[in-house]
Amino acid sequence: MIIVEQKPVDEIQRMIAPYERVLILGCGTCVTVCNAGGEREVSFLHDALLLAEVESKEISHTFVEHTVKRQCDEEFLDLIAEEANDVDAILSLACGIGAQSIAERFPEMVVLPGVNTSFMGMAKQWGVWDERCTACGDCRLDDTAGICPITRCTKGILNGPCAGTKNGKCEVSPEMDCAWILIYQRLERLGQLDKMRRYYPPRNFRPIPRPRRIMASPSIVAVGGSHG
Amino acid sequence: MVSSKTDTLRQSSRTKETAFDHSLMPPCQAACPLHMEIREYIDLIAQGKVMEALQVIRDGNPFPSICAYVCTHPCEESCRRVQVDKPLAIRALKRFAVEFGGDRMIDLEADLKYDDKVAIVGSGPAGLGCAYYLRKLGYPVTIFEAYHELGGMLRVGIPQYRLPRQVLDNEIQRLVQIGVEIRTNTRVVSLDLLSDMGYKAIFLTIGAHQSLRMGIEGEDSPGVIDGATFLREVNLGLKPSPGDKIAVVGGGNVAIDAARTAVRLGSKNVSILYRRSAQEIPADPEEIEQAHQEGIEIHYLTTPTIIKRTDGHLNVTCVKMELGEPDTSGRRRPIPIEGSEFSDEFDTVITAIGQAPQIPQAFNLRIGRGSTIQVDPVTLTTTRAGVFAGGDAVTGPSTVTEALATGRKAAFRIHDYLQHKYPKDDQDKDEVISGELLSKTAESIKTRSRQDPEVVSPKTRSKDFRPIEKVYNWGIAVAEARRCLRCGMGAEILFQDKCASCLTCLRVCPYGVPFLDETGTIQIPADQCQACGICVTECPAGAIVLRKPYDRSHISDALAHAFRQATETKTSPLIIGFCCQYGLYGTGLLSGFWRQAKAGVQIVPVLCVAKVEGQHLLRAFEMGAKGVFVAGCGEMCARDKTSFWVNQQIEKVRKVLDQLGMGSERLQFFDPSVMEEDPTAALDQFTEQIGGLYLDSLLKQEVKS
Repeated sequence: MIIVEQKPVDEIQRMIAPYERVLILGCGTCVTVCNAGGEREVSFLHDALLLAEVESKEISHTFVEHTVKRQCDEEFLDLIAEEANDVDAILSLACGIGAQSIAERFPEMVVLPGVNTSFMGMAKQWGVWDERCTACGDCRLDDTAGICPITRCTKGILNGPCAGTKNGKCEVSPEMDCAWILIYQRLERLGQLDKMRRYYPPRNFRPIPRPRRIMASPSIVAVGGSHG
Repeated sequence: MVSSKTDTLRQSSRTKETAFDHSLMPPCQAACPLHMEIREYIDLIAQGKVMEALQVIRDGNPFPSICAYVCTHPCEESCRRVQVDKPLAIRALKRFAVEFGGDRMIDLEADLKYDDKVAIVGSGPAGLGCAYYLRKLGYPVTIFEAYHELGGMLRVGIPQYRLPRQVLDNEIQRLVQIGVEIRTNTRVVSLDLLSDMGYKAIFLTIGAHQSLRMGIEGEDSPGVIDGATFLREVNLGLKPSPGDKIAVVGGGNVAIDAARTAVRLGSKNVSILYRRSAQEIPADPEEIEQAHQEGIEIHYLTTPTIIKRTDGHLNVTCVKMELGEPDTSGRRRPIPIEGSEFSDEFDTVITAIGQAPQIPQAFNLRIGRGSTIQVDPVTLTTTRAGVFAGGDAVTGPSTVTEALATGRKAAFRIHDYLQHKYPKDDQDKDEVISGELLSKTAESIKTRSRQDPEVVSPKTRSKDFRPIEKVYNWGIAVAEARRCLRCGMGAEILFQDKCASCLTCLRVCPYGVPFLDETGTIQIPADQCQACGICVTECPAGAIVLRKPYDRSHISDALAHAFRQATETKTSPLIIGFCCQYGLYGTGLLSGFWRQAKAGVQIVPVLCVAKVEGQHLLRAFEMGAKGVFVAGCGEMCARDKTSFWVNQQIEKVRKVLDQLGMGSERLQFFDPSVMEEDPTAALDQFTEQIGGLYLDSLLKQEVKS
């Protein structure tokens, strides 16, 4: 899941300053799950912005709130087309994909990001989210016992651990597990320690040609060819 | 102000969800013959709203004071709190509401809407109940009572120490107020006569006053009296002298009542002879315990076989029994042990082995098992047109509440009959919470011991007929009411389409109630949910609501109310406090806040501070509050981690306050359990601080301008 973090209200306040009518648009999937852009957060931000207005003693905005099921599919955005007509800007609480999806769907509309898209990760417990994947496009989890060294090792090295590991923790922080120690322990549990003895040649660090596009089959005729 | 306008707008968009009431009927209500809204009035008592509680009680029961004294409380038997510690003391709480509810209402005479006169024969609870509802429906009603006072068994059967006559008289007075015609000292001997007098319908509720006979030798000797007659004589003001040594035969409540009455008449040595063992005895365990305390001995597995009168004494031969196979009643049959006979001397023997109705032949009704009147169970009609029957005369000896329920039902069936309508199926359609608490749910609930009302000491109470049970004081009543688990009014995922399956509810629930079913869908089982509201506050999708509409909207409503008051009184600087309505108000601490708080504090009472959402706090500031605080009930809270969850909301809002440059110290949380100083002092300090901030800001503005 994509993990995002809401921007500080004062930053949002500055961003919306030029626009009178603002639609606060939530998203019902990842950002709902990570407590940053679901219906509750939309309402909360709405109230926070109203409070900001009251405090500044300058009532210069009107707000509308709405939460769609998923902003990253344009069909869901069709459902807010009418509301979008009546506003000057859409403040999207979805990830960067959602915000861009709005920009593509409504070419004339100003889109403002209400959150910072942070990483791909998972909930560790209530209120705690951890990064787990960097979308490197070259998955090696089979060799590393299901623990990603690219993401979880600070250095992202393929042949660890390095000399900075101490008591299973990383030299960067005594609270951070050394990913390669975790990999070693899990390989041991799985009886696959031989994988530790292998040398993994450097990954292809050539910049990934972006943006990437995946097509279900070559017969699909995609708008814009093989790149998005 | 723009905020209040948008607020109203947003409120209206929310009314859609407040329209649903999905609360389920709790087991206590289902067990009550009158289906009283027990959960509601208990909750109101817990909030300290005793007048409102009494109103709820009155809506479901025309004579609540009577039930508050003598109800056999089947509700308590079905209370699910028994799985945690002990059931709630529901009857005692009702008594508290009745005594403290300030009930001085005078019922106005009900409008007469119909001409069809209805006669009610007998004035026991069934008759009184039927008369009340029929008169309220608009029929002219006459009660015929053979004795000189109304009440039936309430008057002649139940001893005064259990039901003070003043209470009974007050409740009966209501009938007079609403316009029921009462004819005492009038024994009805013929139903035809009533028809000739113009009564279009008759409700027979003549009770079961005839004691059953033991069928043993010497039963008719002088000095042997049946329990019903004995109690009637005492209750109607005769003062029989039963002598010093008394035996009461039987094990029901009448036997216990007779024995305890004998003690109060001065008998020194009272024994109860019961033919089965302590497991089978049908009398109320509490009453048995109290009888023991008053020095009454119960001889189990003992039954008299011969009574002989010699020299002014009764020589009673008894036999010991043993228990054999269960009989048709499901209880084990007592079998005499051969050669175990023994005899003892008594001054009086009171037989109380059961009672049956005595239906005059002239009534011409079909009589069924146990001399009871046979009726249709749905319509309550007898074999004669226009004649209905109910109460003990139909069921055999039963409880006051059962009789009241039958009376109410009869009123509506008679109404159907007189209006030529099909009887409505009054089976309650509401879904009832069924099933037990899972052990993991029960274990997560904090134990709180049940507090029974105080009872006058045995030495004092056995001297006279004054009421023996004391009424709760406020503190104990509120604490007892707070033990309610509020079965069936918990959370539900009302908007499945919004649910993002984020598992927040599953992770935050203090009772581990939500679970993923085999299809991977999150479920919140209604029979386990404890209605704390934490998942509702935390659900990021706004998909979960509490089943009872009031629980969903009360904070917004109370906030709007506080704001209106502040505007009217031009309060400045305004401080809004979200305070737990349960603990603080009820125990007087919050009322202390009200009294002592410096001018400018508006209280928003909330039903647990865990239900306060960040938006509520933001809105309080939006409405112009200079300071906002949340005050919980501390250790009295039903949950341990409430303050953790309140803090989550507080911290979130404080962050915003800081980001907006408003200062996070404007929002405070007072948790009495961790506060070292007196909560009122802390509040005063806060109000002063806010006042200072406010003055500062005014000064700054002055300087600027």
